[in-house]
Amino acid sequence: MDNPSHLVSETPIREEIPEDILAATHNVLEPDEEILLSVSTDLRFDGVYGPAWLVATGRQLIGISPTENGLPEILSIRLAEITRVEVLELFGSGVLKIRTSQNGASLAFFTKTLLPKFSKVPLQIERLVRHCKPVPADTRIARSSVDGFGARKRRCERCQQVIPHWMGVCPMCLDSRKLFFRLLGYAKPYWQIGVVSLILLLTATFIGLTPPLMMRSLIDDVLVADTSGSTTGVSLIPAEPRSSVPRSQTPGPAPPTGLDKRTMLAVLVLLLLLVNISRNGLSAVRTYLLAQLGQRITFDLRKQVYRHLHYLSLSFYNERETGRIMSNITQDVNRLQDFISDGLQEIIRDIATIIIICIILFSLNPALAAFVLVPTPLLILVTRYFGRRLHDLYHGLWRRWADIHALLADTIPGVRVVKAFAQEKREVNKFENRSLGLLSGEIRVARVRSTFTPIMTFLTSLGTVIIWWMGGNKVLNGGLSIGEFVAFTGYMWQFYGPVESLCRLNHRFQRAATSAERIFEVLDTQSDVADRPGANSLPRISGSVEFSGVTFSYEPGTPILNDLNFRVEPGEMIGLAGHSGAGKSTLINLICRFYDIQKGSILVDGRDITEVSLKSLREQIGVVLQDPFLFNGSAAENIAYGKPDATLDEIVAAAKAANAHDFILDFPEGYDTPMGERGLRVSGGERQRLSIARAILRNPRILILDEATASVDTETEAQIQDAIARLITGRTTFAIAHRLSTLKNANRLLILDKGELAEMGTHDDLIKRDGIYARLCRMQSEMSQLRAW
Amino acid sequence: MQQEYHLEQELTLLDPDRTRLRRDEFTDLILEYRGERQPVTAHRAFPLTATGQFIVLKGVDGTEIGAIRDIASLDDESRNILESDLERTYFAPVILQVNRLEENFHIPKWDVETDSGHRVFEVRSRRRDIRIMQGGRILLRDADGNRYEIPDYRELDPVSRALVETLI
Repeated sequence: MDNPSHLVSETPIREEIPEDILAATHNVLEPDEEILLSVSTDLRFDGVYGPAWLVATGRQLIGISPTENGLPEILSIRLAEITRVEVLELFGSGVLKIRTSQNGASLAFFTKTLLPKFSKVPLQIERLVRHCKPVPADTRIARSSVDGFGARKRRCERCQQVIPHWMGVCPMCLDSRKLFFRLLGYAKPYWQIGVVSLILLLTATFIGLTPPLMMRSLIDDVLVADTSGSTTGVSLIPAEPRSSVPRSQTPGPAPPTGLDKRTMLAVLVLLLLLVNISRNGLSAVRTYLLAQLGQRITFDLRKQVYRHLHYLSLSFYNERETGRIMSNITQDVNRLQDFISDGLQEIIRDIATIIIICIILFSLNPALAAFVLVPTPLLILVTRYFGRRLHDLYHGLWRRWADIHALLADTIPGVRVVKAFAQEKREVNKFENRSLGLLSGEIRVARVRSTFTPIMTFLTSLGTVIIWWMGGNKVLNGGLSIGEFVAFTGYMWQFYGPVESLCRLNHRFQRAATSAERIFEVLDTQSDVADRPGANSLPRISGSVEFSGVTFSYEPGTPILNDLNFRVEPGEMIGLAGHSGAGKSTLINLICRFYDIQKGSILVDGRDITEVSLKSLREQIGVVLQDPFLFNGSAAENIAYGKPDATLDEIVAAAKAANAHDFILDFPEGYDTPMGERGLRVSGGERQRLSIARAILRNPRILILDEATASVDTETEAQIQDAIARLITGRTTFAIAHRLSTLKNANRLLILDKGELAEMGTHDDLIKRDGIYARLCRMQSEMSQLRAW
Repeated sequence: MQQEYHLEQELTLLDPDRTRLRRDEFTDLILEYRGERQPVTAHRAFPLTATGQFIVLKGVDGTEIGAIRDIASLDDESRNILESDLERTYFAPVILQVNRLEENFHIPKWDVETDSGHRVFEVRSRRRDIRIMQGGRILLRDADGNRYEIPDYRELDPVSRALVETLI
């Protein structure tokens, strides 16, 4: 059987049917019937949540819904009687409706969660129906008001997790480690910098931790050497752990003389100076190197993302908000850079600090070290608790700020309405209420913050308290030297900072991973419109265009254009008309090959457009849109956008041809006047003429006018029409217009209706035929008569 | 197929060999072309990027008479007269040196030496009034609409250059 193209084969949904349902089907199924389709729903016929089933065999379609009293309710319809299958999205649920020529039935109810699944069902039933009875290929049985399109980004495709609106990526499937390693891949070209800065980082951290050890030497060996009876300058080597054997019992050499002590003091002071110089010197070099590394990686990434964005097809842009795409390039990349050049080195430094301090403390005095670490778990818990709480509070605060902004953005521009209806007082009250909400939020944050810091300081001081008690006792017992006691206290203070900041590590990782995921998502998207391997470039064409059997849909299941067949001769002007949504703009998008068609072929000068390179095709097509876009740049640059090497003669000539020359010269800076977002504001009609000049200069063989005169007044329209008349000479032209009078120059008119070619012919032909076009014409002339009065 | 359309037919260029420009007793610019004498005003189509090309001459009623493709193709006298006229119209002294840059309320006050003498001026908006072109060229417009130009700020003396760089 000849299947229409929208029935592209897709494997039928076959879900495992539980025993009791299967048993119930035996009453209605004949023994030889095989189940070909089985879909579970989550709403029963009586509106109670629970599994119900939609089952199809080669002969019938059955809806099975369990009931409270045991016997399931069963509805069955013979496939051969079905004339229409549709899935409807209702206010709070969805339904699958079947119609026969006499009546109809709802065979399945389901919650909106299952809409994406059920949106595919009608087509699958249509296929089964076609196996049962002959249906003309152009009759469509499946109808769906649901495209499953909006739902796609709400839930993760892999794990069905709801995706947070602000995140855009699934937090469950976020594999931080994998992303992290992929990110490290970008650091590969600069691995030397990375290795050097890592070594510098570790060395500086290590050096930075030596002063307390030197302090120990200073006290034990120099200042109080007489009483504790310490030894020689050997103990200067800081990394050498001391034995915890009480010194007074060690039979050592004679106490050092005063001169020796002065030398040692001098040596220690010099050493301290050296440590501080080298530590800060090293960290200066390291900071610079890591910043460079981070910036270079960011540069590469940003470049790659931007380049990739430009080669993606339009469908990528249709699915996303512009703001999100722009923040990919700026915000996300910056966050990654922040993580690479700041976050990463802080993490490494913190971990190294903690490890080194632990090693030193334990080698100095294991017992005391163990006690010192006692408050650490408490510290971690408190930091995490407050971290989460503050995060939540700040989030709430941020929402309240957004509320206030929204209110301002609403009322200030609408102040005329507020005044006209004398509602000032209400608006002031509204603002006051929201402002009050913000105030209470701020106060709550202040309360939490004011407890957080003292608690943290207290916990940190607990460590010192423990040292004072335990260490002090040990010193009194002679188990610890005074120098070691002081060193311990010194390390204590350096220990808790890194612990605290590592507690926030998770949050930091998560943020960077989210940004990385968003960026990689863009990079991993492949353009669905791309040059075939070995695509030739299209030579200069004469301009014939042929559609044969063209079928196209943006989303599977909802065809926009259906089996279009027509041929346009070189130099012909074709007017495209039809109701909005009939597929006019889509047809034009297909000629430019912004999308690839699903079936059929589009031939330009007899060559399939998918077989030539995109660049060579689009180079021969000129487009004038309804609301033309001007880039930042001068008028001359905007005219020459499609031909950057154009001479001044060409630019001026094109502007003259487009009736733009005169108004350009009236600007003080002439053709050098800046235009676009940051430049001079030009009117719609002027913008339109600039874009016509842009198209003329390119000298395209195929010209597309998409509502080129829709948004200008009558007088400007006359000037633009005049320019267009010059532009279309000798070129194949496709013009879309709602005002049919603008199509009066067209050789032939092509009328689209619901994605199909309804009528085609000259104006007179179509009027004689008295079809859609004739009706449109009559309506418009009545309207214009009304206006004329 | 219809005959191919040539863009060049749109241009109304004056034949430089038959174009004479003079000044009359009111120091108005007079065009002598094909035996006709009429007062005209001269406009640069590309006042920033191509000062010597496409000089559009308009009659007293503002309609375009024609364009001079290249000012160099005129005879010496006509060229001198036209150039001096244009220079007065598009008066924009070249900044040779920046003495001082002070900012008050985010409005920078430039104290400069130009090829027309010493000048102090204020620029209102960095975005609208300072245009940075290719090759280090900077065009400035002061708060009153007067124009100044720095052909290439990288060629300025180090002090001036550092001052300019703080604002671009």
